[in-house]
Amino acid sequence: MRYGPSVLMRGVVGLVTASFLLAQANAATLLREATIGEPPPLDVMLTTADVASVIGRHIFETLYALDSTYTPRPMLAESDGTEDGGRTIVIKLREGVLFHNGKEMTAKDVVASMTRWGSFGARGKLLMAAATSVEATGKYEVTLKLSAPNGAWKALIADVNGGLAIYPEDIAAKAGNRPIEQKDYIGTGPYKFVEWRPNRYVEVERFDGYKPVKEKGDGFAGARVAGFDKIRFIPVPDVGTRVSGVQAGDYDYAEMISGDLYESLSKDSSVQVQRTNAPIFGLFFMNSKQGILKDNYKLRRAIQTALDKSQALRVAFGPKDLWNAEGSIFPNGTPWYSTDGASNYSAHDPKKAKELAKEADYTGTPIRLLVSTNYQAHYDEASVFTRQLADAGINVQMMVVDWATLLKMRGQPEQWDIFVTHHSFAPDPLLLTFLNASYPGWWDSPEIGSLRAELINTTDPAARKSTWGKIQSLIYEQVPVMKVGDAYTYDIASPKLKGLNPNGPVFWNVSTK
Amino acid sequence: MWSYAFKRAGTTAVTLLAASIIIFAFIHIVPGDPIYVLLGDTATPDQIDALRHQLGLDQPIILQYLTWAGHVLEGDLGRSIFFQAPVLSVIADGAETSTLLATMTMIWVAVIGVPIGMIAAVRHGTWLDQGLSGAAMLMASIPTFWVGLYLILIFAAWLGWFPSSGYPSIFEGGVVNLRYLVLPSLALAAPNAALILRLTRASMLDVSREDYVRTARAKGIRPWQVVRRHIWRNALLAVVSAFGFTFAALLSEAVVTETVFALPGIGRLVVQSILRRDYPVIQGVILVIVVVYLLINLIVDLSYRLLDPRVELQ
Repeated sequence: MRYGPSVLMRGVVGLVTASFLLAQANAATLLREATIGEPPPLDVMLTTADVASVIGRHIFETLYALDSTYTPRPMLAESDGTEDGGRTIVIKLREGVLFHNGKEMTAKDVVASMTRWGSFGARGKLLMAAATSVEATGKYEVTLKLSAPNGAWKALIADVNGGLAIYPEDIAAKAGNRPIEQKDYIGTGPYKFVEWRPNRYVEVERFDGYKPVKEKGDGFAGARVAGFDKIRFIPVPDVGTRVSGVQAGDYDYAEMISGDLYESLSKDSSVQVQRTNAPIFGLFFMNSKQGILKDNYKLRRAIQTALDKSQALRVAFGPKDLWNAEGSIFPNGTPWYSTDGASNYSAHDPKKAKELAKEADYTGTPIRLLVSTNYQAHYDEASVFTRQLADAGINVQMMVVDWATLLKMRGQPEQWDIFVTHHSFAPDPLLLTFLNASYPGWWDSPEIGSLRAELINTTDPAARKSTWGKIQSLIYEQVPVMKVGDAYTYDIASPKLKGLNPNGPVFWNVSTK
Repeated sequence: MWSYAFKRAGTTAVTLLAASIIIFAFIHIVPGDPIYVLLGDTATPDQIDALRHQLGLDQPIILQYLTWAGHVLEGDLGRSIFFQAPVLSVIADGAETSTLLATMTMIWVAVIGVPIGMIAAVRHGTWLDQGLSGAAMLMASIPTFWVGLYLILIFAAWLGWFPSSGYPSIFEGGVVNLRYLVLPSLALAAPNAALILRLTRASMLDVSREDYVRTARAKGIRPWQVVRRHIWRNALLAVVSAFGFTFAALLSEAVVTETVFALPGIGRLVVQSILRRDYPVIQGVILVIVVVYLLINLIVDLSYRLLDPRVELQ
């Protein structure tokens, strides 16, 4: 018996089709995200590095999560109540929430996590410094007692960034102040940690035991649905490579693209541009502990008056879509927006600045400005301001170092007069670093001391808003920091991705369908 | 031969000891601290001091060195502060990429640089020589990152022939993953091939002026045989030295190319570790690089003897 070529051909076509379909059915869906670099250890309680938070949000969860208006909504918590004028907080937990090791989350895990966070967490002291006790008062109930009420408590435990991520009790209890080991990256999130290959990727995979909340996804709050089998976070330090990689289809998403590419990428059909709605803002910290600027509010105001912030923002961030010369510390449209004191934000009046400097008895002593080139925007802003200050007769001496050196030097008050950094969007004023008296800059005047206590201990939202207005006015009067302006970073993604989140790169509720 | 090997082993040990002290001292003299980078913006002085103590970074520097050196002698390079993994495994992972990248680059360099250098030397003074030398100058002058970015743009983003970046290990995806290294190795090969080309040409021209070459020609030996037997072999010594050191440099200094192509190689590892002050990784990587340099140096010296029997190893 002989088979004709057409029979053979049909057989081959059939085989190829079958193997293709089989391959499709077996192909794990993988999302590849190009990050700006390698993260530090993913112990999100201890670190505030964004690159760790972006990965960590998929693995670890918090009791509350911020929705698209930056309002805290229950995540691992079910409900809450306060007693004793706000000094006692009772949190009921959701039942049936599983850790990635298969064990159920209970109040004991929350208590152990909260205890560690209070001692070693990057933002733990903000709430836990006033804690007198934290106890499991039921299998799914935690009671936190404070020496004084804290009006921001929910916002303080609503994000993983240096925040109260819930770890299993044994891991939280034994970890102490050292970053937890990779084998202990066990959370309750929609993705679980798989492996970390240095300089190659961090891989997470869908957690099949994940139990989402009932509410629809909104911002970081609500139901989280893992749309991919796996996600790889791949460090790609060069921005040009991140862009080419998405265009070539080697990555599905790339973070932090530079401003100069914004206009061309907005018109490029091979990518979609994703601009964040949570701006970061540059900050110039004044030394309130030592040196020429200590308590010298007049000289600080002279510096503030000399500056044109728009010019620095244009140089640092490029197209107007990516920045906003906004004097309010919180952007317009958010609950904490305020115009109090903001008329002094960007006066650009060298003549008045000269007069103020003269009144402050300034005689041309060099003002040491500490800045790093690791963040190009910091350096650009510092260069523009140094020039503008020279026009007002204020002599600034830039000290340019790498970021690791800056982090160490800024803790030494004798080393600098001004240092440059930036701040991420914060959902509550208490999370602003410059309100923390122990943060380099050490702003702790009697006026801010009493206003800070008022902001912490007031629980009525309207009263807190009013206090914040007074604090912002004080910021423009005592100038512990100068806000440069709001900068909107942007990412790019494959046009196939649907459901991207403008609050930040998170990949639950994202899919290709 | 044995006494030579013994002497070399002795000098190698002294070099390593000196290098380890210098590496350790220099890294710790640089200001900055891994704890600040690790804990980030909001860490309090208490938290910083406590973690520094836990990691042993508050010990006197000499004690830290002795502890580290003791572990190194036992084959333990310590643990990375940031990767939370043994330094040896972190280096091994990077070494795979760097070794394959350097090897592939050297193949391009050998295939392009040496034959063209020979042609330029043989055709010395002609328009061909001028043209090839000019092209070599151009290749040596264009920065590697620029070549790399354009290779990505043309061959990855536009034509889609090669992946744009990254390198998954051949132990996971097979030798087909070597395609990830084609564009970066070409970018790295451009300036190095140009240098080898010029060196081959210059070296051959030098040898061709020797008396024995003139004698060979006077004896009526065919020109290509004079080139092959008398000129090329003697010119090879300088080229082999350059090959050895180019290879060693590519292992550790391809940082720009590794960054542009997002390759997990040794160069990027060391620069990133310096920026984060990941002391155990910096110390480990530099120590390994020193050992590799010493080994390559030894291999180059031994190869002289194979290439030229007149060379004596003393």
